[in-house]
Amino acid sequence: MNREDKVKINKLPTGVPGLDEIMGGGLPEYSFNIIAGSPGCGKTTLAHQFIFANATPEKPALYFTVLGEPALKMLRYQQQYTFFDEGKLPGSIRFVNLSEVILEQDLDAVLKEIIRQVEEVDPGVVVVDSFRTVVRKAAGAASEMELQGFVQRLALHLTSWQATTFLIGEYAEAEMRDNPVFTVADGLFWLYQTAERNSIVRKFQIMKLRGQASVPGLHTFRITDAGLQAFSRTLGLTRRRNTEVSSRRLSIGIPELDKMLGGGIPEGDSVLVAGASGTGKSVLATQFLAEGIRQGEAGIAAVFEERPKEYAARAGSFGLDLVTPQTHEKLNILYLRPLDLSVDETMQEILDAVQKIGAKRLVIDSLAGFEMALAPGFRTDFRESLYRMIGALTGIGVTILSTVELEEAFTELPFSTYSISFLTDDIIRFRYVEIDGQLRKVMVVIKMRGGNHSKDIREYEITAEGIVLIGPRVRGYQGLITGIPTQIASSGSNKRPLRKPKARE
Amino acid sequence: MPYLLDPELRDFAERLFADEALALTASEANVPLAFRVFEDLRRPLTTLAGAAGFRSLLLRALTLAKRDEPSLDAWKVTSDGSLESAGPGQNHYDVDRGALLLAHIIGLLFTFIGETLTLRLIHDVWPDTSFSTSTAEGTGNHESRG
Repeated sequence: MNREDKVKINKLPTGVPGLDEIMGGGLPEYSFNIIAGSPGCGKTTLAHQFIFANATPEKPALYFTVLGEPALKMLRYQQQYTFFDEGKLPGSIRFVNLSEVILEQDLDAVLKEIIRQVEEVDPGVVVVDSFRTVVRKAAGAASEMELQGFVQRLALHLTSWQATTFLIGEYAEAEMRDNPVFTVADGLFWLYQTAERNSIVRKFQIMKLRGQASVPGLHTFRITDAGLQAFSRTLGLTRRRNTEVSSRRLSIGIPELDKMLGGGIPEGDSVLVAGASGTGKSVLATQFLAEGIRQGEAGIAAVFEERPKEYAARAGSFGLDLVTPQTHEKLNILYLRPLDLSVDETMQEILDAVQKIGAKRLVIDSLAGFEMALAPGFRTDFRESLYRMIGALTGIGVTILSTVELEEAFTELPFSTYSISFLTDDIIRFRYVEIDGQLRKVMVVIKMRGGNHSKDIREYEITAEGIVLIGPRVRGYQGLITGIPTQIASSGSNKRPLRKPKARE
Repeated sequence: MPYLLDPELRDFAERLFADEALALTASEANVPLAFRVFEDLRRPLTTLAGAAGFRSLLLRALTLAKRDEPSLDAWKVTSDGSLESAGPGQNHYDVDRGALLLAHIIGLLFTFIGETLTLRLIHDVWPDTSFSTSTAEGTGNHESRG
């Protein structure tokens, strides 16, 4: 059987931003699905988003309510969401209360009533909320075989009637082994909600989805006044083709530093600029963006420690105009400070901004601020998610410059507190050094994955023009990278410390 | 704050009753008009909210309506959500009391699910009826009730 002979399974939009991507393109038409999770995790809202996205007068949605949230209350609360279109009721979306049938009759009567309604309405979508109530009723009165028979007949009938079905239930994961509902289902979607310290962390998992490849793993989601929004672990970039390897070098906006980098930053690299507070990391980042704009390359600055106006104003004090490019969609300064962000959500926002203006340069200023903006529960995922985002963005040719603040140590030269040097192709290290009774600044290119680079340690200053490298490499001292160098005597035989090193506190 | 029924709702309910009266056939003349109207409403609302849901809604509306019209004490809600009269001599064209009760039901629905959805439900039962109101927030009296 060749590919053309195989049946084509239509994929229906879920109505949940980001979820179609996770599902592998949408929900398979005529599938029989379960939405499971604890109370309050968004099961009903997810089903509502689906029915509002798909129900039409010709193929309406039938929503059976069963002893759970009363329909009037459900409508009262669900209409607060922006996706709720009252124009679809009652013509395209019909609510049917099954409570009395469940309470007073047996599973056969329940099945008969569902079938009667389905045959009368001819729906495209059927939801039973909560199906758990039906199962509980069955467990009390019927054997496991009877329950399995009921679920199979229900699935068979609804599929034959060309309905895409959702059974909603408050299940525990331990029930998956024994519950026949899970065996019959084509799709099994699990919603989790956990409190971690002061934050709520919501995650979504596709445990099973027949007929198509979904994105495995746990995906974060958020519930806002627009309903659920899901954030794929892969950030939607898995199927995008990487651009061809570029040999182009991007100027960082400081000619002397470009030379140290071997001609600039290789396009599509991830650069880490590490240094203590006040060493000029953000200045370098703005110079990198401004240079890109000068060359017609749009940029994004994801800032966490300053508001966009302050960020642009500070760049302005160095003669860099970051205001005008924003009005021309050449630059977007994203301020991502609110706490409780999920890492994937934040990264999705950055990705959306990159894609919206076709940015070629991205600044993340800073990684420490980024991590702090996340809900505590998401911080454990930070490095993994950052790795995915950086890999995905550099793969499509975006050059990323991230800053990281380090506590200055005067005995060693750490590159990052995050152990994230594996994320970066290139590392530039700024540091303070004590020379001749002054606290000066030096920089060194630690690593360039793409080739050779200068090994020089160069002194620099932050002037009204931004970072300016002064002089050739610092000579006559050793131990510069410790921050407390010693002067090398001209004879080369006598070394004397410039100052006695202080003990670390 | 004391409970007050929106006059526009009362007017709307009276028009619904008037339309129903005009549509009466000879065979239906033996059923009191008010009960027939509520029977029409019972079916879709029972489908939506369940028999118990509709019954509790009707009971609440009846309780509220009795405050304005104590003679409604003679009206009872049966276990299946139908109306019946416990008193003698039910007036077949008792528009005033029926409209009052209907207005309260509509008012409760306005409160719970909003005006737009309620009117869409009513339109499904009585397609030719329109509710025109100058105030979008016709539910204020119900919402503010303490």
